[in-house]
Amino acid sequence: MPTSGFPAGTEGFPAVTEEGKGSHAGHTPGRRPVGTATEAALAWSGDPLLTSKVSVPVLPGTCVPRQRLLDRLSGGVNGPLTLVSGPAGAGKTTLAVSWAHLTTPPGPVAWLTLDTDDNAPGVFWSYVLEAFRRALPSLPATIGTPTSPDSIGRSLLVRLASAVEHLPHPVVLVLDDMAKAPGREVSKGLGFLLEHAGPQLRLVLIGRVDPRLPLHRYRAEGRLTEIRGADLTFTPDEAATLLRQHDPATTDSTVGTLTSRTEGWAAGLRLCALAMRKSGDPDGFARSFAASEHAVADYLLAEVLEVQPAATRKLLLRTSILDQVHPELANALTGRQDAEEILARLVREGAFVEPVADTRWCRFRPLFAKVLQAHLRSRRPGLAPRLHGRAARWLADAGRPAEALGHATAAGDWSYGAAEAVRNLMVGSLLAGPDEDRLPALFSRMPDDTPGVEPALVAGACRLAGRDLEGCRERLTAAERFMNSGSTPLGPEAGLTHALLKLLCESYGPESGATPGAAAEAMARNAGHMTARVAGGRTEEHPELTALRLHGLACALLRSGRLDDARRAFTDAVEACADDATHLVLHASFGKLALTESAVGALTAAEDHAVRSLTVADRHGMPPARRSGAGHLALAALSFERDDPRTARHHLERAMASPDAHDDPVMVAESAVLRSRLELTQGRWEAALTALGDPGQPPMTWPAERLAVARSHAVLAHGDHEAAVAALHGGDGDGPALTVALAHAHLAAGRIDRARRLLAHADRSHRSSLVDHVRIRLLRARIAMLGDDPRAAHAPLAQALDAARPEQLRRPFTEAGPWLRHLLERADGEDTSRLSRSWLSTRCPDGPRTPAFVEPLSGREREVLACVARMLSTNEIADELHLSVNTVKTHLRSVYRKLCVSRRREAVELGKELHLL
Amino acid sequence: MRYEFRVTGRVSTPLADTFPELDRASVPRQTLFFGTVTDEAHLYGLLARFQDLGLHVEEMRRLPD
Repeated sequence: MPTSGFPAGTEGFPAVTEEGKGSHAGHTPGRRPVGTATEAALAWSGDPLLTSKVSVPVLPGTCVPRQRLLDRLSGGVNGPLTLVSGPAGAGKTTLAVSWAHLTTPPGPVAWLTLDTDDNAPGVFWSYVLEAFRRALPSLPATIGTPTSPDSIGRSLLVRLASAVEHLPHPVVLVLDDMAKAPGREVSKGLGFLLEHAGPQLRLVLIGRVDPRLPLHRYRAEGRLTEIRGADLTFTPDEAATLLRQHDPATTDSTVGTLTSRTEGWAAGLRLCALAMRKSGDPDGFARSFAASEHAVADYLLAEVLEVQPAATRKLLLRTSILDQVHPELANALTGRQDAEEILARLVREGAFVEPVADTRWCRFRPLFAKVLQAHLRSRRPGLAPRLHGRAARWLADAGRPAEALGHATAAGDWSYGAAEAVRNLMVGSLLAGPDEDRLPALFSRMPDDTPGVEPALVAGACRLAGRDLEGCRERLTAAERFMNSGSTPLGPEAGLTHALLKLLCESYGPESGATPGAAAEAMARNAGHMTARVAGGRTEEHPELTALRLHGLACALLRSGRLDDARRAFTDAVEACADDATHLVLHASFGKLALTESAVGALTAAEDHAVRSLTVADRHGMPPARRSGAGHLALAALSFERDDPRTARHHLERAMASPDAHDDPVMVAESAVLRSRLELTQGRWEAALTALGDPGQPPMTWPAERLAVARSHAVLAHGDHEAAVAALHGGDGDGPALTVALAHAHLAAGRIDRARRLLAHADRSHRSSLVDHVRIRLLRARIAMLGDDPRAAHAPLAQALDAARPEQLRRPFTEAGPWLRHLLERADGEDTSRLSRSWLSTRCPDGPRTPAFVEPLSGREREVLACVARMLSTNEIADELHLSVNTVKTHLRSVYRKLCVSRRREAVELGKELHLL
Repeated sequence: MRYEFRVTGRVSTPLADTFPELDRASVPRQTLFFGTVTDEAHLYGLLARFQDLGLHVEEMRRLPD
């Protein structure tokens, strides 16, 4: 029953959301390989263990209500920030839990218990968002979700802060064990949220170390309430209450002795209570404890552990390798059948473990797992890896493959771990997101010579994800060797993984071993067959596999110049990206689709898809290393075709910052071609040639063809028509673009008949694009002009203009030369309406075009930009707009980000260009 | 860099063994851990380990090399 129907003031909402039972009732664990922190953050699984992370924990059975602290906390939560800090076992969490249950918080409580895996910003913030969503079902869904563990976009925090700011009531966010997420990025984001979410946000941070926030400033401003270790220590009265919960007969002197020896440490007192009861002589225990010179935790733990029955001791030691204990898993580790009762008793005693609400799982209290691990190592050296191995198998059988992987790799059992990863089809999520960093991290220590098909496949996938194509190919070869020699039959999952990796590796790769489209199609078909062989509709739960297959095929088709087929395949790939688990491939497919479209002259569609590609990356806060430059490259290409070199240059620069601009053959070629053409606009034909690199004699695949055409243009600009012809005879390519360029070169050499024949040939080609079509018409017009027949030139010119207008394709006209201007001027008087050439010279004839950035500027941002344009300083802007200097800076930063600029001047220039000023 | 850590109370062997890189000595009411600390990451890691085990570091100082 989630808290629905809030805001009803402070009445009528349960402070504890009851674990969202309703919304996740249908979930059967194990349907998908979910269950790790990372994965769940990205596509919420409804796993009860994870649900417990983002819900207020249950009130412990043995809990001393400490009114003085509850009051302090209530007071703190009236302000923006409360810090509860103290050593492990000081009772920090218990205090916050009992506060949430026993008092009336000023608003719904969003709770997040952090684990060690949660220090990646993306993971951290997706948990925070989930915690908020559970406490505030009305929170707008448009805030988005980070999908990359490594980073999140600032815009996501802005959206979250603004959503919280506009709440009609306060919300309390409790972050338990902040020390587990110590990253600078996380702290920075938290500081940002605190500054910008307004007075409705009440943050409670619980931890053993101070968070990286400017606490001194908050303290000076009176915005911080601190409850520190010294405040948390038990007073003798509180200690007496606690000890008497366990043994009502505890004398005052015993209470006094134990309180002073433990210095009021909550966990210590609780252990004392246990040890006392077991020893049967409370006063004797207290005396011997007080006289002992041993460290408190160490002494008590040893004491408590020693008096436990052998079965309990065994269970505690052996399960210490787990984050969370399940009775059956504990049985698997101890080889006994009594874990259920033992755990139930331990939970009742409340010292070692606490229950995870609504599940059979328990969690160790923070202090003890580490101590127990130490005892395990010293008593049974070498046992831990075997236990990890056993835990891995139990978890895999229980349908928690992601956790199983963690234990398999901790055991160093690479073969088993890799086999699990492959069997559960986890490799796709490594390449398509959202699991892109988890697998490589787990398998980073796997030795290269680990035998077996699956280890080779996993290693290959990790390398492909890191864009190490050479390494991937090498591992795939190793996998094939094992496949051919293997006696054990290979599962369909391994076959599918192999087929997919092979296809992607070949499709992204450099020219060597070029895959013509047909071979890629065969590979993609093969991967499709393999998919069909994976039983039980499991592939339906992995849309990323289909998306990756189509993407790989499309890349290969694009490389072999089958642009229409590539366009269809990219569109299919985009459609196959059904959920958030495919954001990487969605981003790349949109980008490449845009690139394909810009190459054939479908500029409007290209712009659309490029912007979508960038939006996907932005919404998921994709880190730069994972971004594809295809979207920016497409924007650069289409801006250039629309005769806007400035914007083209800007986007080209952005594209070059991405890794794939330097190793994807299509993108390498396209960016070189564009750079060369940009140089030509400045009349630098030598630089234009240099940009294209060494011609060499590669097979005439599509990228090589594009380079050859650009090269012939560059030398033609210099007037060297023989070299222009020679540049086009590099191979056996016969694409229409090549033929048109050849016609152009021959025309420049004065061989009109030859040019005319070539043009007729190109015009008949079914592969000719809009750009080719327009160029053919323009060359025909040119031929007519050379034949001194301006009237005959009008018809092809009119056709060219008509064809180019819908896409605002201006560049071919600009590049045609001065004769065209004369012709257009002369044509003006005769048939203006027919030629309707005004769009050629006027920018933005249909009103301001949607500028090619991701988000529009807000009203405030426009105002700030306008002030910048008036040359006002930051301080002056702050005065003028009645804002603080910091707010102005924040607005400026977001203007820079949205316009993709780094300086004031660039922002103003681009602002003017985009009609924002 | 050599460091010395003074931890409250005597520390049992299993727990002390979780610091294999440090030597130890017992003095009344305290256990001394000392040894070479590679860098600051190592230093903070050690402090976190003491804390994880519920051991209280009373004093820490750098020893002359």
